Amino acid sequence: MKILIELTVNEELCRLEVEPQQTLLEVLREALHLTGTKEGCGLGDCGTCMVLIDGKPVNACLMLALDAQRHQITTIEGLDNRGGLHPLQQSFIDAGAVQCGFCTPGMILSAKALLDINPRAGKEEIKKTLSGVLCRCGSYPKVIEAVLAAGEKMKGGH
Amino acid sequence: MNPLYVGKSIPRLDGLEKVTGRAVYSVDLALPGMLHGDILRSPLPHARILEVDLSEARKVPGVKVAISGRDFPFMFGGMIKDQPFLAIDRVRYIGEPVAAVAGESELACQEALTKIRVRYEELPAVFDPRDALAEGAPLLHEGQENYTRFGPFESVPGTNICSTSTYALGNVQAGFEAADEIFTDEFYSHAVAHSPMEVHAALAQYSPDTDSYTVWSPTDGPHRRAKELSDALGIPINRIRFISMYSGGGFGGKGTLVAEGLAVAMARFSKGRPIKVVFTREAELTASQTRHAAIIRLKTGMKQDGTFTARQADIVWDKGAYASKGPDVAKRGSLTVFGPYRIPNLELVSRLVYTNKEIAGAYRGFGTIQVTWACEAQMDIIAEKLGMDPLEIRLKNCMQEEDLYINGQVMRGVGSKETLLKASQAIGWGQAKSSPNGSRRRGMGIATTLKPTVTPSDSYCLIKVSMDGSVTLLSSSVEVGAGQKTILAQIAADTIGVPLHSISVPHSDTSIAPFDFGVTSSRTTFHMGNAVRDAGGKVRRKILEWAQDVLKTDAARLNLIEGKILEEGVGERITLQALLAKIYQRGGSLLEVGHYSSAQSASLQASPDLQYMSSIFWMFATHAAEVEVDTQTGIVKVLKIAAAHDVGKAINPALCEQQIEGSVIMGLSNALLEEFKMKNGRILNDTLADYKLASMMDIPEIIPILVETGHAEGPFGAKGVGELAAAPTAPAIANAIFDAVGVRIRDLPLTPEKILKALREKK
Repeated sequence: MKILIELTVNEELCRLEVEPQQTLLEVLREALHLTGTKEGCGLGDCGTCMVLIDGKPVNACLMLALDAQRHQITTIEGLDNRGGLHPLQQSFIDAGAVQCGFCTPGMILSAKALLDINPRAGKEEIKKTLSGVLCRCGSYPKVIEAVLAAGEKMKGGH
Repeated sequence: MNPLYVGKSIPRLDGLEKVTGRAVYSVDLALPGMLHGDILRSPLPHARILEVDLSEARKVPGVKVAISGRDFPFMFGGMIKDQPFLAIDRVRYIGEPVAAVAGESELACQEALTKIRVRYEELPAVFDPRDALAEGAPLLHEGQENYTRFGPFESVPGTNICSTSTYALGNVQAGFEAADEIFTDEFYSHAVAHSPMEVHAALAQYSPDTDSYTVWSPTDGPHRRAKELSDALGIPINRIRFISMYSGGGFGGKGTLVAEGLAVAMARFSKGRPIKVVFTREAELTASQTRHAAIIRLKTGMKQDGTFTARQADIVWDKGAYASKGPDVAKRGSLTVFGPYRIPNLELVSRLVYTNKEIAGAYRGFGTIQVTWACEAQMDIIAEKLGMDPLEIRLKNCMQEEDLYINGQVMRGVGSKETLLKASQAIGWGQAKSSPNGSRRRGMGIATTLKPTVTPSDSYCLIKVSMDGSVTLLSSSVEVGAGQKTILAQIAADTIGVPLHSISVPHSDTSIAPFDFGVTSSRTTFHMGNAVRDAGGKVRRKILEWAQDVLKTDAARLNLIEGKILEEGVGERITLQALLAKIYQRGGSLLEVGHYSSAQSASLQASPDLQYMSSIFWMFATHAAEVEVDTQTGIVKVLKIAAAHDVGKAINPALCEQQIEGSVIMGLSNALLEEFKMKNGRILNDTLADYKLASMMDIPEIIPILVETGHAEGPFGAKGVGELAAAPTAPAIANAIFDAVGVRIRDLPLTPEKILKALREKK
């Protein structure tokens, strides 16, 4: 039994049919082809599927697509949709915060949720907030540097 | 000419794709007509398969393929051909693939799996390699001596010993007699998961018309995987095409056929429709591959002045159910148990033992992590007994430039001492301890190691210059996340004399790019880097010859820099683009092959018959750790790790730092947090909630230090870094724990329970 739903993803309204049990992650990846949102575990343990729901970080594997209606959903693909890179994306490249890249979208979105509220967030706050995203390459030290650098840029009112 | 790109922290070429989410991994790929593949796995650790009934599964709507091992009765294995694609008449570990289904949807596959009926006859199982060595132990592979072996891997028929090797130098008995003190210790290095954030995934498509397969996968060695499939299926290599995808982390775990073999088996029966196999995280943790656990017994003879007289090592490696890359881990990985030290008499016995558990395979370090754990823990036990400083005893014994390795090879580019000095200096070695009040105690520890690279091995590449001067580097060095594409492009740009942005490095496709041994053993920068130097040099010479003809001058007066041809004393004469427009008026491309083989290097010369142990380069590293131990809880907090690595020459310092920081975190995570909880062969902690990986909250301050001794045969002097990097972390932490609270943990992981128990026993 499919249900017609409407999702606002990256400021674009999408109308689509989903199974009631489908997660937001499945719908983003399979129906909307937004594969920048990754699946690392499907259980909410790894954070690679992090998206923003009304600006707050959420593991998309733990949310039903149905429940994501009437919210603003932001995926990694929505960060540079005005042309240029988001300061976080640029900082991740510049600071060498990317290795295999599989956790990178989750890291960047998690950091965006933090910096949007507090661009002055310090190292400890960054660590605490981003600890929900696991990275086996161990890019953590350079991710922290990247987020600090992006915060500096965003304080300037980006 | 000074390089413009080499030696600089150029941002990685794959950065943009990765920060925008546009980088495509195997798990992201969707092909027209694609079917989902799913696997029925063994619930038993050891059993005979009496029957697999697929009839009901085949009736599920949407299911197109349902097969068992009998339908695809081939065996594979890069070192020993001992593994079926799907279990044929026997299962040897919980999680072993027994049957496979492919269908239009994941739901259809899941339903079909529930309808497969398997009848098993359970067999006695063995989980501890020591039990597996005992007489009368249940055998996993009767008749293993009949398996095809690709290398000098000797089995012991009628036992569970998959392979065994020995090595001796000098006379250990005489060495022990000459010793003032003899140390006998047993250490245990535990199994851990690779656990990349991207699980194993692959797609495969079979063409019935040409009897050929195409496989999309993140494997670190696509040409060797193609060879393994070719050997297994009995079809020529050119009928197996591997197309590489971005790898979401491998760490050795993507260095054999895992999801690939399953996708291929199903694809054979899907009438040309592609099959996609994606492991669950549960399967990733319990049924992919692990690091080999190892029991390491060391007997070491020392003089009172802190010099070695002899070492005897006995290593038992826990193989799990199938060989994978274990035979070479047990053979080559064992050798570094003698550390980067001058030991005159030595003896080694290494045994790789089958058990009814998840397969152990290659894991970052390739055995060096396990043996370094033992070597460096014992080093501190020795220092303590002899009343020496742990740094001093290492400095006294560490190898120096032009020392002989244990096989007689002359070692060059030996940064052992420098890594010891720099790491210890950065951590503040020897400074007074500043333990806070209360129950917490601080301490420092140090550990050092060395590692060879797989030798000899070969890399080939193609460089294609299009008629507009843009350059394509075709190589099978897969981007596993360490920056392979970036480093090779840096080397190509400086070798040819073109801007970095004019070079593209597409993913490997084995039908186009020539052979490469693989992104393994930290060999890519050195080997593929040299192949790129070879091809790039040819391209450059050809362009300068053409410029000589077109400009009517002497090539010796010409230089190619950043895509412009300059003449000595004149300046810029013509751009590469304009030159090629003249050469290729009707179109064309310049194509050159690059090849590097370490086989011919004179530096490999060693004692008679021992050249197989030589390494084209040696990596050295020292980690120094500062920890704080809470004596009330046993909890260890790592405050700081200084990690000094001799990389020869950093082609891209930022990428080297990433490898060092990443390895320290992996090493710390392995040592303090990770452990499989097993019951009767079943892994109980099969989620990332229960199998803990270090998060951002767990990391200490990390000081990466690059030591650049240079290597005469490396591209721009470079060696390698990524493989070795995690090896000294665990012993450095354990040695720091001893320094802090005086307890010595010999079995990994370093859990609070063990530390508390040891503290109580000490009182």
